[in-house]
Amino acid sequence: MNPNKKAQIRLNETIAVLFIFFVLILFGIIFYYQYQKIAIKEKQEELLASRAMETTLKTLFMPELVCTKGEAQAEDNCLDVIKLNAADETFQKHLGDYYFELFSFANITVQELYPHPENIYYLYNKEKTTVLENGMILPAWSQKESTYFVVSLKNEINPAGQSQYGYGYLKVEVYS
Amino acid sequence: MRTGKKSQVEITFNWIYLLIAGAVILLFFVGIVVKQKVVAEEQLASEVVEVMDTIFAGAGVSEKTKNFIDTSGLADYTLYFNCEIDSQGKSLSEFGIKEKGSSIQSRIEPIFSPQELKATKMVLWSLPYNFPFKVVDNLLVTSLNTKYFILNSQDKFFEEFLNAIQGFNVKDIPDLSFINPENNFQIRIIDLDGLFIKENQFVSDSLLPLEDDKVTALVFTGPNQITYYQKQGAQWKKMHPHPITIISIAKERDAAKYAAIFSANDQTYQCNMLKAFQRLQYLLEIYEKKAKEMNQYYLDNPGLGFSKDCPLYIQGPYSLEDGKETSLFIALDNLKNSLGACLIKPEFCSGLISPAQQLQQVNRDLGEKGDCLTLY
Repeated sequence: MNPNKKAQIRLNETIAVLFIFFVLILFGIIFYYQYQKIAIKEKQEELLASRAMETTLKTLFMPELVCTKGEAQAEDNCLDVIKLNAADETFQKHLGDYYFELFSFANITVQELYPHPENIYYLYNKEKTTVLENGMILPAWSQKESTYFVVSLKNEINPAGQSQYGYGYLKVEVYS
Repeated sequence: MRTGKKSQVEITFNWIYLLIAGAVILLFFVGIVVKQKVVAEEQLASEVVEVMDTIFAGAGVSEKTKNFIDTSGLADYTLYFNCEIDSQGKSLSEFGIKEKGSSIQSRIEPIFSPQELKATKMVLWSLPYNFPFKVVDNLLVTSLNTKYFILNSQDKFFEEFLNAIQGFNVKDIPDLSFINPENNFQIRIIDLDGLFIKENQFVSDSLLPLEDDKVTALVFTGPNQITYYQKQGAQWKKMHPHPITIISIAKERDAAKYAAIFSANDQTYQCNMLKAFQRLQYLLEIYEKKAKEMNQYYLDNPGLGFSKDCPLYIQGPYSLEDGKETSLFIALDNLKNSLGACLIKPEFCSGLISPAQQLQQVNRDLGEKGDCLTLY
């Protein structure tokens, strides 16, 4: 065989080996990238669920909302209706400088079920949004996690002259 | 001869080519491993800090409970805690793993702890700070290798403290010569009477081998007045020129007092207490609205027999036992004004105590004397 031709075949062989090697590396990188993508998504979901629980926990124990009994320990899982009515304005007023750090992007409401199911207390609402060039505001969150927690609702001011207990649920929606 | 020499060169060239290619591939994988190691360490640090944040959030709201957290997996790492007041006069605290980048910052939760912890067991204790209503849960953080020595005292807080912190690494001692640091990471000495630790005084023989920043003391220099000291060579040195006032009206399980004991120094203590005062400002807004609702309720329902004095207690003025004229509205207003001054200048925060006591008294009067609705 012509030595030039032999050398050419060897060169082609080397190129083929290198090509296959880089193809394998590329496959590896693609596989790793896909795996990481899924892992990051799962981690984000996990973090969002954890944030939802944490926000619910913080809300349930907020001195701004809980029922008190003088200097004794606060009543468990009980929200004061007068405070619920007042808190919305305070949360909104100090959203940027305080409460956003506590709740981040979330929507917190309390739905009364008994005795007045028509009552909904809107406590906090800060949705992740984006503003389009034409001024339209669109939601900009990719995931939402909701948690519900049953609470008792204490209403001290009613014409009957004594505290009245109802119940409802606290709904916490967090956005990512 | 000519063909033989050619093939010899070719074989040598092939080997060199192979070696270079092998080395490049090896370097590529070594690079990936090194990069992954760095990423894994950073990820671990960030996960640890996140988990700690969740633990702190849970512990923070679990009123009056003590949690012993196993941190043996972090025994090689040093956790750090810091709190600083920024240029706008707001507190910003931070905790994380030392020299590992990732950290968590917070303007809300007050965390009172030593500056550094390196331990296999961490202790978290949540105490509600009432002023006079519940403002926030003070989270006290320490470790089982942080030793607290309390010097014997006739002060009733001495017994209370020993009972309250059962399970912690604490020892009562008659004087400084009884201190044995053992293998603890750091030492905090508590002098309730202010008799044993003074500026420039000799520390104690047993404390000499320890690093200066690992030996600190808290001295009560008067009723609700404290001064932090740190070992400097063989002597005690004050960490701040003027004593700090503990802003509290609690008679026992005083969250502000315990917070002072567990704080690293005056700066972190005041910084975290400022968070409580910031929260108090927003709570006062809500309680003001509640007071107005209560007042309106009694105006709208004058027929409620038991409540005939309630508008008086709410609107006032009426006289307290000490002769001061007050009411719910007046007491809330006084507290709000004092708080405004405190948030501008922390030196004025001691002025909060009297209005808070007044509000506490009015709230009691509403419930006990007037049989009315109480504010809190």
